[in-house]
Amino acid sequence: MDSLITAAARALAAGDPLGALKRVALRDDAPALALRGIAMARLGDFARAKELLRRAGRAFGPREAIARARCVVAEAEIALVSRDLSFPKKALAAARATLAAHGDALNAAHAGYLEIRRLLLIGSLDAAERMLDDLDPAPFPPALRVGHELVVAGIAMRRLRTKPAREALARARDAARRAGIAELAAEVESTAHLLATPAARLIARGTERPLRLEEVEALLASKALVVDACRYVVRDIGTTISLTRRPVLFALARALGEAWPQDVSRGTLIARAFRGKHADESHRARLRVEIGRLRRALQPLADLSATPDGFVLEPRGRRNVAVLALPVEEEHAEVLAFLADGEAWSSSALSVALGASQRTVQRALDALAATGKVQSVGRARARRWMTPPVPGFTTTLLLPAPLPNG
Amino acid sequence: MKKSEAEIIREYAFEGVESVGGVSFDGEQVWFAAGGRLIAFDPDTGKTTRILDIAAHAGTAFDGKHLYQIAEDRILKIEPDSGRVVSTIPAPGGGRDSGMAWAEGSLWVGQYRDRTIHQIDPETGKILRTIESNRFVTGVSWVDGELWHGTWEENHSDVRRIDPQTGEVIERLEMPQGVFVSGLESDGQDRFFCGSGSTNNKVRAIRRPKRDRK
Repeated sequence: MDSLITAAARALAAGDPLGALKRVALRDDAPALALRGIAMARLGDFARAKELLRRAGRAFGPREAIARARCVVAEAEIALVSRDLSFPKKALAAARATLAAHGDALNAAHAGYLEIRRLLLIGSLDAAERMLDDLDPAPFPPALRVGHELVVAGIAMRRLRTKPAREALARARDAARRAGIAELAAEVESTAHLLATPAARLIARGTERPLRLEEVEALLASKALVVDACRYVVRDIGTTISLTRRPVLFALARALGEAWPQDVSRGTLIARAFRGKHADESHRARLRVEIGRLRRALQPLADLSATPDGFVLEPRGRRNVAVLALPVEEEHAEVLAFLADGEAWSSSALSVALGASQRTVQRALDALAATGKVQSVGRARARRWMTPPVPGFTTTLLLPAPLPNG
Repeated sequence: MKKSEAEIIREYAFEGVESVGGVSFDGEQVWFAAGGRLIAFDPDTGKTTRILDIAAHAGTAFDGKHLYQIAEDRILKIEPDSGRVVSTIPAPGGGRDSGMAWAEGSLWVGQYRDRTIHQIDPETGKILRTIESNRFVTGVSWVDGELWHGTWEENHSDVRRIDPQTGEVIERLEMPQGVFVSGLESDGQDRFFCGSGSTNNKVRAIRRPKRDRK
């Protein structure tokens, strides 16, 4: 490293990106471009940061494989933070392999976490877990350790295992304290906050109340028969019956679950399942067919009995019935759920994450924007969507250390 | 060209130091540039003897009376006792500078990625002569009329003696894989002291090759 690069890297490490920029603003050699890129990322100008890092990657000589790979990792981190999920994951995997082969275990691990966080973000829990198993966090410095524990906690929370999530968060908190990086400590706290905020709503015996994640876990571990409107399944502790592809049956199951132990009138069932305003004979015939199908589907868990007015759910064994619903139910709730992480998302990233078409996502965003529930910045492909800013929200940007051999 | 493996005699580690840039020797103490400080230690005991709060981002040199230190794009001339900066001159590489040595009334300054070493006038900073290397230049050292410099490229370092006229490589000491050289200075005897850049907090002593000295 040369003198000004050292000085700029020190400024960056001390949390002074403007000081770093000042020192290398006029330089276009590879390490200077990389430093400028990282400084711009810290200042939040992700588009410019990405471009600078790309130029730096090209400017490093063909024999400077490590420096090039670090540029790719930094670029990937910017893509992740700016929710640009179209980032070519192959380039990141290749950079990780290069770093590992050249003995840069730390940056290789950092690259691995970026891959895992991407998988988490798009809900590929199994793949994320498999990758996590291959990483031994023991030799990591505290900052990377925080990242590891947050990923462990994130997976545990999505798997509804609150105790391991809490334990991972405690280790993350400890590591953040040792790292002495305020942003990391804040990210740990905001993750911990998720454990304390309602994750779902419980509807049972005609009343409803919010549930925290561990209450959801407890409910699912209980004997109760749960109609789960977050996952479109009906389940007890041993059996899960998926109705994801049978929305009419699920609507009926939910209506019956909400009313239990009371029955539900045919008219109400028809309205809930078919969205019909009033029930005519053809609706009544169709209801009979669908109730027959639901009865067969739920057969291992519950029976459906006719009452004078309609139908009632009769769980097998002496157990309660509860309906688990999303904390806020409105149209496009899923889109809002992703935006609720406080980040700026592109519509294409949302479409990857939701597994829905871009057109569908765009329609949902337009509808939400019309009611002020989301807002956008930028134009065309650079357009990003977010919920109105939440005060105190932070994000980690742990770009790899400025290139020591650059 | 002679090629051999560098023999590391001793490693000095310093708590709270994040990088080691330039290295120099004033006859008793080894000085090194630790970013925001110049630190001196006794090479026999390894104990820290002096700390000067001065920006120190790359090469360090000693002319028998004053220390010279590259900071950003300047070379500072420093009184070792008081830590006072008595004058500054522009660094020849304008901030692309790495190692520095004193010899024969001149400063010799390495320019890292440009793979060159400049001989400059210590009063004005004027470039008197430029020597080309074929690798990134880190530390620079003169000892017994021999010009040595450290390299760091393709994730590998060596310490090499070059012909000051032609730049031809005469002798190379290969550093082990993953051990990097930033600053370089000899104690005038059988040791070189090397910095380790931003990879760790160590100064290393390596054996200087024996030969018949005139």
